[in-house]
Amino acid sequence: MAEIVPAQHQPPLPLEQLILKDGAAGAGDRMELDVLIVGAGPAGLACAIELAKLAKKNGGTVNIGVLEKAATLGEHSLSGAVVNPRAFRELFPELKDADFPFRGRVTKERVYLLTANGQWRLPTPPTMHNKGYYVASLCEIVRWLGAKAEELGINVFTGFPAASLLTEGKRVTGVRTAASGLDRDGNPGPSYAAPNDLTAKVTVLAEGTRGLLAQAWCQWQGVTSANPQIFALGVKELWETKRPLDRVIHTMGWPLPSDAFGGSFMYPLEPNLVALGLVVGLDYKDINLDVHELLQRLKQHPRFRAYLEGGELVEWGAKTIPEGGFYSLPNRHSGDGAVLLGDSAGFVNVPSLKGIHYAMQSGMYAARVISGALVAGDPSIRRLGEYDRVVNHSYIARDLYRTRNMRLAFKHGFVPGAIQAALMTVTVGAFPGWRYAMHADAEVGRRLTPGRGPGSIGLSKVDAVFKSGNSTRDTIPTHLIVGKDVSAEAARFYAHVCPAGVYEEVDGVLRINAPNCVDCKATDVLGPRWTPREGGSGPKYKRM
Amino acid sequence: MSATRLILAVCEHRDGTLRKISHEVVTGARRIGEAVEAVVCAAGPVQGADQLGRFGADTVVTLTNASFARYAPEGYAQAIAERAKAGGYSAVIFAASATGKDLAPRVAAKLGVGLAADCTDLAADGGAIVATRPVYAGKALLKVKVATTRAVLSLRPNVFTPVERPKAGTTETVAVSVPAGRVVVREVKAAEAGALDVAEAQIVISGGRGLKEPANFKVIEELARAFGGQAAVGASRAVVDAGWRAHADQVGQTGKTVSPTLYIAVGISGAIQHLAGMRTSKVIVAINKDKDAPIFKVADYGVVGDLFEVVPKLTEEIKKLHG
Amino acid sequence: MKIAVCIKRVPDSETRVKIGSDGKRLDEAGVKFVLNPYDEFAVEEALQRKEKAGSGEVAVMCLGPAAAAETIRTALAMGADRGVLLQTDAIPADGFVTAQALAAELQGGAWDLILFGKMAIDDYNQQVGPMVAELLGLPCVTAVAHLEIDGTKGIAEREIEGGVEVVEFPLPAVLTADKGLNEPRYPALKGIMAAKKKALEVKPVQLGPGGIEVLALTPPPERKEGKIVGEGAGAVAELVRLLREEAKVL
Repeated sequence: MAEIVPAQHQPPLPLEQLILKDGAAGAGDRMELDVLIVGAGPAGLACAIELAKLAKKNGGTVNIGVLEKAATLGEHSLSGAVVNPRAFRELFPELKDADFPFRGRVTKERVYLLTANGQWRLPTPPTMHNKGYYVASLCEIVRWLGAKAEELGINVFTGFPAASLLTEGKRVTGVRTAASGLDRDGNPGPSYAAPNDLTAKVTVLAEGTRGLLAQAWCQWQGVTSANPQIFALGVKELWETKRPLDRVIHTMGWPLPSDAFGGSFMYPLEPNLVALGLVVGLDYKDINLDVHELLQRLKQHPRFRAYLEGGELVEWGAKTIPEGGFYSLPNRHSGDGAVLLGDSAGFVNVPSLKGIHYAMQSGMYAARVISGALVAGDPSIRRLGEYDRVVNHSYIARDLYRTRNMRLAFKHGFVPGAIQAALMTVTVGAFPGWRYAMHADAEVGRRLTPGRGPGSIGLSKVDAVFKSGNSTRDTIPTHLIVGKDVSAEAARFYAHVCPAGVYEEVDGVLRINAPNCVDCKATDVLGPRWTPREGGSGPKYKRM
Repeated sequence: MSATRLILAVCEHRDGTLRKISHEVVTGARRIGEAVEAVVCAAGPVQGADQLGRFGADTVVTLTNASFARYAPEGYAQAIAERAKAGGYSAVIFAASATGKDLAPRVAAKLGVGLAADCTDLAADGGAIVATRPVYAGKALLKVKVATTRAVLSLRPNVFTPVERPKAGTTETVAVSVPAGRVVVREVKAAEAGALDVAEAQIVISGGRGLKEPANFKVIEELARAFGGQAAVGASRAVVDAGWRAHADQVGQTGKTVSPTLYIAVGISGAIQHLAGMRTSKVIVAINKDKDAPIFKVADYGVVGDLFEVVPKLTEEIKKLHG
Repeated sequence: MKIAVCIKRVPDSETRVKIGSDGKRLDEAGVKFVLNPYDEFAVEEALQRKEKAGSGEVAVMCLGPAAAAETIRTALAMGADRGVLLQTDAIPADGFVTAQALAAELQGGAWDLILFGKMAIDDYNQQVGPMVAELLGLPCVTAVAHLEIDGTKGIAEREIEGGVEVVEFPLPAVLTADKGLNEPRYPALKGIMAAKKKALEVKPVQLGPGGIEVLALTPPPERKEGKIVGEGAGAVAELVRLLREEAKVL
C-alpha cells in the first residue's frame, strides 16, 4: 500500500532564529543573572532549589531566575503519575513523605491485556512495580516546588517563554524570550511587549519533552546520540467518578493495533478522582491512528466504563514522552555555559513509566556542579562536564541502561516486542547484547489507508481543548512552521496526529487552528515545527 | 409582624418618558410588598407614569427638581434617600439598569446599609427579605437574607416579567430641593446607528460552519432584518477564524458572552466553548441538519433540517408578525 | 498625582464552581485566584495617569485574606508603588461593610483619584466603589469606559442602554473602571523583580457582620429539557407559534 513519510513534509529546525548572537538587536529589557533556568517543571525547580540551598550553606547568594511559559506554575505540566519519592527525600531531607505533594500510596496494582470486550490479567512486569510509590498530580508537585522556590528567594517568571538562545562563540550566554501582543499578521498590537534578553553564567535547559532550545543546542553543538530520540503521545483525562478506584491499573492491547506500541493507565488521585490516559508510540504505521480517538474508544471498554459511568470529566490534556531511553541520550548534556535536564535530555524510563524523579535528580546533580563552577568562576564545559560524569555514574544511567532495548524491541509489533521484553527482564538486560537501531519517528512510513471522518464517540477535540483550560486569544499569530507543499494526505495525517484539533484537512488543504495548541509537541515530532507563543498561551492544567 | 410592608419602587425615565423597565421594578416590589409606592425623579411630569398603577403601584410619586431632566447622580440619590428615610419603607428597590447600578449603591450608603444587587428572585421571610442573585458569572446562585430595617435591592433586567395587578396608582408630584451636584451628565450620545452589538441585542442570530460560505451569511442577515432592528448577527469561532466574520461578532469563550432574550444558532454544532458564550440566553433555538449535534441538548427548541430551507421560511414568518 | 486603587482577589473566570461542604461558599480546593479583571483597568489607569503627570504615587488597597498579598504583588509588578492589605479571612457578604473598612483606610489620604473596578467577577455586587465615595464625601462616576482629565476637571464616558453618557466631575473623585478604559499592561520582568522589594503593609481588621447574610450557595437550575419541534421548513410555523405562545419571546 502507498505510504507517506512524515519527514518529507517537515521543515528543519529554524536554527537561524533559535541561535542568536548575544547583543543582537530586537530586545527590550535586559537582565543579568547568575543562573538562568528555562522551564519551571520538576527538573528546573529542583535545580533552582538545590542551588539556593547550596548558596545559603556556603554563605553566599546566587541570583537565580526561572523562566516558565505558562501563566501560572503547573498549567503546562502533565503526567500520569506514579512517583518514586527518592528525589524528594534527597532534596528535602528535613521533610517526611507525608509533607510531600503526593496523593495516595500505591497499595494495589493490576496489569491487563485488553480485548474488545474483556481482559486478561497479566503478572505485573518487574519494571512496573509501583508498590510504595505515590500517585500524584504533576501540577500539584510543580506548584508545591514553586512555593518552596519562592520561599528561598528564587525568581520565578511565569508567562515568559524562552524563544532563542543567546550565544558568544560556542558559549551559551542566556536566552531571549518571546514577544507578546502581536496580531495575527505578526505586527505589534496595542499591548505589545518586546522580547527580553536574560543573560547568565550558566543556562539550564529544562524545557521538558521535545525542548525547542535543547534540540537547537544539540544541533548547533553537533551533539549526537546512538539512536535518534523517539516519542510517544499521551492523551489524559481527569474524572470525578461515582465508583471509587483503589488500585493503579495499566493495560496493553486493545484498542491499539498490533503494530503500535503503547498502553493505558488509570490512577486514583483520590478514590473518586481518577486520572486515565492512553500513551502511543509515534512510530505507529497507519495514517489514520488518532490517539485522542483511541482514548475515547478505550473509555467504552467495560473495565473503564465501570468506573466512569455517572462520573464527570473535569480535565483533558496531552503531552509527548521521550521514549528512546539509554541509546537516545545525547552523548553530551553539558557545554560552555549550558546544561540539559530531565525530559529535555531524555531521562525517562518507559518500561517503568518514570521520569519525574529522574528529572528532579538531574536538576540536583546539575545544581551541585553549577554551584562548584560558580564558586570557581568557571562555567565552561570543563567544569560543567562534571555533570555528565555524575549522571553517567548515577542510578539514572544505570536504570536506563538496564531497560535500554525494551521499548525498542516493540518496533516490529506487540507480540515480538513482548517476547523480547520478557527475555530482557529475565536476563536483566543482558539480552540481546546489542543496540536495537531505531529510526526517528518522522522517518517511519505510514500506510495510506482510506480516510474516514472524525469519530463521534466521547469527547470531541474541540471540547477537549476547552477542558484543557485553553483560552488562548483567537488573534494570536500562528506559531507553527509548516513545510512547503503539504499534500492532502499529509494534512489528513496531521489532523489525526494532533489531539487538540489544530490541524484539519478541508478540501485537500491544510487548515490550522493554532490557538487550540496545548503544547504537547506531537506536531514538532511528526509535522509542522513548534515554536513558543506569547506567555500564558496554551492549556491551564489544574490537577493533571 | 403586622405592620404593612411598604416598598419604595424606584422607576426611571428617559427624556421625560417612563422606561419600561419600571414595570419590572413595580412587579418585583409587589412580590414582597403589601403596598408599593413608585417613585421617579424628573424635571416635570413623566409620560407613562400614570400607567404604573396597572402593575401594582398604590401611589406614584414624581420628585421634581430642575436638575432632574437628565440623570443627576447626587441629586437623585439624595432625593430618594430622604424619601426613604421619611416614610416607613421596608425596602427600596431599583432596576439593575445602567442608571440603577450607579444609583442604588449611593442610596444604600446614605441609608447606611448594603445592597443586594442584580437579584433574580425575591421573597418575604417574616420581617426580612430573601433575595436570590446569580454569582460567578451565573455558575451559581446565592441566596441572601437582608434583615436591615430598610433593605436596598436591585433587580436584574428582563427577569421580573411585568404582571398586571391593577392598583389605584394615585399620582403625586413633590418638588424637592437638593444641592447642586458635582457630577453632571452633560449629554447623552446616541449609540452609532446600524451596528447593533451582539452583547447588547435582545435577539442574536449566530451562524456557524453549516453556512458553508461567507456569502451565505446573507440568509442570517435577512432574518435579523426581519426582526426590525432588534437583532444582531453573531458568529461561531470557526467562521471568524476562517475570516468570514469579524472577531467582534464572535460568541463564545474567547469571544463575547451574550445573554439575549432569544438566541438562534444556525448551522452551529454546539462546542462547549461556544455554549460558554450564550448559555444564559433566555430562550435558545437551534437549526442544524445533524440531529445529534450537541447544540440540541442546550436548545429549548430545535429544528432538524437544511438551514437554507428553514431560515428563509423563518424569515418569512417573522416578517408576517412584524409587518 | 496621588492615586489609590482598591483591588480584590477573585477566583479565575474559568473556575469550575463547586459548592463547599457548608453549602454557603465556594469550595476553594484547586481554585486559581487572580486580580479581579475590572481592577486591572483601574490599576492600569492609575499608572498611566501618574506617568502622564510625571510624578506621584499609586497605592494599592485590598481587603482580603493573607493570600491576597500575592494579588497586591501583581499590581506592584505592574508598577504600583506600595500596597496595603486589610487582612481578614471573612469577606463580608455586605458590600457596605467592605466599603466602611476601605474608607477608614483611605480617609485623610489626600488622594487625587480613588479607582475601583466596576465590579468583582465573583459576587457581582457592583457597590463598593460608590459606597466608599459616599462615605468619604467625594464625587463619583461609575463604569467609566473613557476618561479625560484636565487639572482638577474630569470628563468620563459611560455606557447606558442605547447610548453613552458624557459626565463632568471635579477632582478629587472616585471612579470605577469598565472594560475598554485602557489595555492593562503585562508585568515586565523588571517589574516582577522590583515588586518583591516594594512596601506591602499588612493590617488585620475586624469586621462587623453587616446586614446581609448568606443563606445558601446553590448550582443554577437545570435548563428544562428542550424539544425538537420538527424537521425542515415545515416545522417553522410551529416553532414560531411556540416562541410566541409558550416562550413568549416574539
